[in-house]
Amino acid sequence: MVESQMPQPILKDVSFRIQDGEWITLLGQNGSGKSTLAKVVAGYRMAGMTGQIVRGMKTPFQGRPIPIVMQQPEAAMIGATPWEDVVLMLEQNELDAERITIEAELVLRKVGLGERLHQPIETLSGGQKQLVAIAGCLAMHSPLLVLDEVTAMLDPEAAGFVLDQVRALHQSGVTVVWITQKLEELRQGDRVVAMNDGFIVFDGQADEWFARGAGGVQISICEQLGFEAPYSAQVAWELEKEGVKLSPFPFTAEMLAEAVKRYER
Amino acid sequence: MSDDWKLKHVSVYAEGTDKRLLLSDVNLTFKAGQITLLIGKNGAGKSTLLETMTGIRQLSEGEIRLGEASLWIMDSRRKRLDHKVALKLGISMQSSESQWFASTVRDEFLYSLKPYKVAPEAAKQRMESALAEAGLSIEMLERDPWTLSGGQQRRLSLACLLACEPEWLLLDEPTAGLDAVGVRRLCAVLEAHRAAGRGAVVATHDLDALLPLADAVAVVSGGTIREAAAAAAIAHAAAAPQALRALAELRAEAALPPQAPLRSGGAPWPAPREVAAALAAELARKPRERAGAAVRAVSAAASCGKSESAAGPSSANRNGVPSAAARELLRSDRFDPRSLIVVYFLLAAAIFAQKTFLELAIAGIFTILLLIPFRSLIWPWIRIIRAYAIMIAILCVIGGLSLAPISFDGERAFPIFIRFSKLLLIMLLGMPMLKLMTPMRLQRAIEQTFGWLSRLRVPIHSFALLVTLIFRFIPLLTGEWGRFAKLAHARGKAVTPLKTVPVSMLRSILIPYVRSILRLAEQMADALEARGFGYAKARPTYGFLLRFNRSDAILLLIAVCSSLLLFLTAFLQ
Repeated sequence: MVESQMPQPILKDVSFRIQDGEWITLLGQNGSGKSTLAKVVAGYRMAGMTGQIVRGMKTPFQGRPIPIVMQQPEAAMIGATPWEDVVLMLEQNELDAERITIEAELVLRKVGLGERLHQPIETLSGGQKQLVAIAGCLAMHSPLLVLDEVTAMLDPEAAGFVLDQVRALHQSGVTVVWITQKLEELRQGDRVVAMNDGFIVFDGQADEWFARGAGGVQISICEQLGFEAPYSAQVAWELEKEGVKLSPFPFTAEMLAEAVKRYER
Repeated sequence: MSDDWKLKHVSVYAEGTDKRLLLSDVNLTFKAGQITLLIGKNGAGKSTLLETMTGIRQLSEGEIRLGEASLWIMDSRRKRLDHKVALKLGISMQSSESQWFASTVRDEFLYSLKPYKVAPEAAKQRMESALAEAGLSIEMLERDPWTLSGGQQRRLSLACLLACEPEWLLLDEPTAGLDAVGVRRLCAVLEAHRAAGRGAVVATHDLDALLPLADAVAVVSGGTIREAAAAAAIAHAAAAPQALRALAELRAEAALPPQAPLRSGGAPWPAPREVAAALAAELARKPRERAGAAVRAVSAAASCGKSESAAGPSSANRNGVPSAAARELLRSDRFDPRSLIVVYFLLAAAIFAQKTFLELAIAGIFTILLLIPFRSLIWPWIRIIRAYAIMIAILCVIGGLSLAPISFDGERAFPIFIRFSKLLLIMLLGMPMLKLMTPMRLQRAIEQTFGWLSRLRVPIHSFALLVTLIFRFIPLLTGEWGRFAKLAHARGKAVTPLKTVPVSMLRSILIPYVRSILRLAEQMADALEARGFGYAKARPTYGFLLRFNRSDAILLLIAVCSSLLLFLTAFLQ
């Protein structure tokens, strides 16, 4: 009984390194510690933390944490419109006064809210609120975007839209830590980091994440950790059983079609 | 076997200013022993329909029947929820998992079970089986629900629902934020519920997980609802299930012939195994044979696969907003808060100066004339205005009444009437103000006007930020109260008018409400810190400053003229 009374560490012996310009998809079931890891990465002071964090990236935040975008962004919205919200955030972070409004409008256009600068926040959809929060982080030239399950509460349409916008930002050079439970949000080239019970249990490319050893007989790490694999990956596994090994391993619809097309030649 | 659930000509209007139609003339039957999915885009009315079906939201027209019993019964003068019917329904609203009423999981169960008047022994049994079904251990009973992890809280909310053993389960986005294990468990619960001959209605976006279970699908779109076959319904969903996207892509690349593979089993799409078999067979054929098939397949696939990308940001503003000119006037950045406040004080002083009934009437006419352009901002306050008017009447009666001998003295009641009516007018003038300035503009107004005080070491900037936050927090407080009132109806099965909390439940709701508010505040503080607020700054940075513009000038002019006129009438008499 005594042992169970002891506080359990939420993160255990976690070491990992984020490269500039990377897209990291951080996976984990409910309660696996991924949100805590996100906070540590962003530089929040956590009670009872031991270990070391080295930040080589240049940040404009002088010792403050990097902003995180969370599931429900409403809590942190102070402005009554997207424009006000970003302007207020930039003022609080002491950007150049003359640049603030220009910068705010620029980033809001960049995330696709150009026509809604002055629309009351409460009339925006969930996805648009997320984009306002993301715009705030961008405007501050955050070296790293930490997005903690930002699509969990959105409908698929809005979720796809937010994901596309963030993917586009990544293309333009932003480093992204994308935390999710939905494997269908994985794309080719992502670095996959999976957490379970406070440990990092996987850190590598998506290929290995889905790899079933020896002719599709053994189960992959993805299945071991109880994730629902994307439909395309399931098809690919079944194909492996039929003796067709596709490469690279497809886990999106586009990749599957592409891999099948290339297989024949 | 439970009863079918029939909706006849059901219409629902939005509450508040714009009487927008949320649901129009819905005719639908939900069959017992079936799982019905409600699908449709965000804002289409899925949640509204669920809330209407359980009586958390009032119908404007039509009727809802469960078997022979009507959900609403006509009392002497107002419609009342039928308690017996309400007990047969269990609803789990969106994000209701983090609204706990009690300090232990056991009490939480007892709160849910209270309206069912279950004997203690049976209650214990129900708790245990509900916990097991939701995948929680019995040791959880003594835990504080707030200390459970997010996933456990979601399971607990399902368990509380199951413990009530409702004939109908209504779930709103039950898979949102749930992990794969949780989704599988939820599906098992739904299947068991159906196997027991009971019904479920599930509003969801997650077709991948839930469509294989569904017996019927209803598509909600723009306030109307139609039933659809599962396969056809997919076209109306916000995003195609993964399987269909994969098939469309494969056909576009001519890797699969258009008809293959044939599907079997529950889901309206083939299992991965079936697709793989068809693909392997195709790959085994000679490449040359298939080249001809490519062109045919492309057109079929293009329509299905990529429809979701275009519709991205369109779902935002569905409100029936007033005309463009009126909207322009009511925009929150139209007026300088400073001029609004000056105008308010001017008019308030002028109204205060009035003494006789005639003067008061003139002031009243002025007030109403001034408020006409802003009338839509007054509407939400109408209940408060009504309550205040009733209060004036009561005070006048009390003030004018003398007991020995019993008589009514108009002379004594009159001053009370005048004084309180003046207050009412001033109150009315103040009502649109909150909507005409945003907290940020108010903050800027304070800082621009009193910024020099900071040199005298008055913490004016902190004060201004505080004012902003308070204004930001008030709508959260009322919103949260509205949520708790809804929960009182959903879980407590209260039959009082909607949006109010029955007195008997006040005690059990107040403490959780305060807790929830404190949590909100804590969340907000965290979030603000994360966004760079709360760090000491050398000098404040202003990205924009308020400027006095033409509309301010017009507003001030009108206010000065009307208050001058009022002052004149007051002093010349």
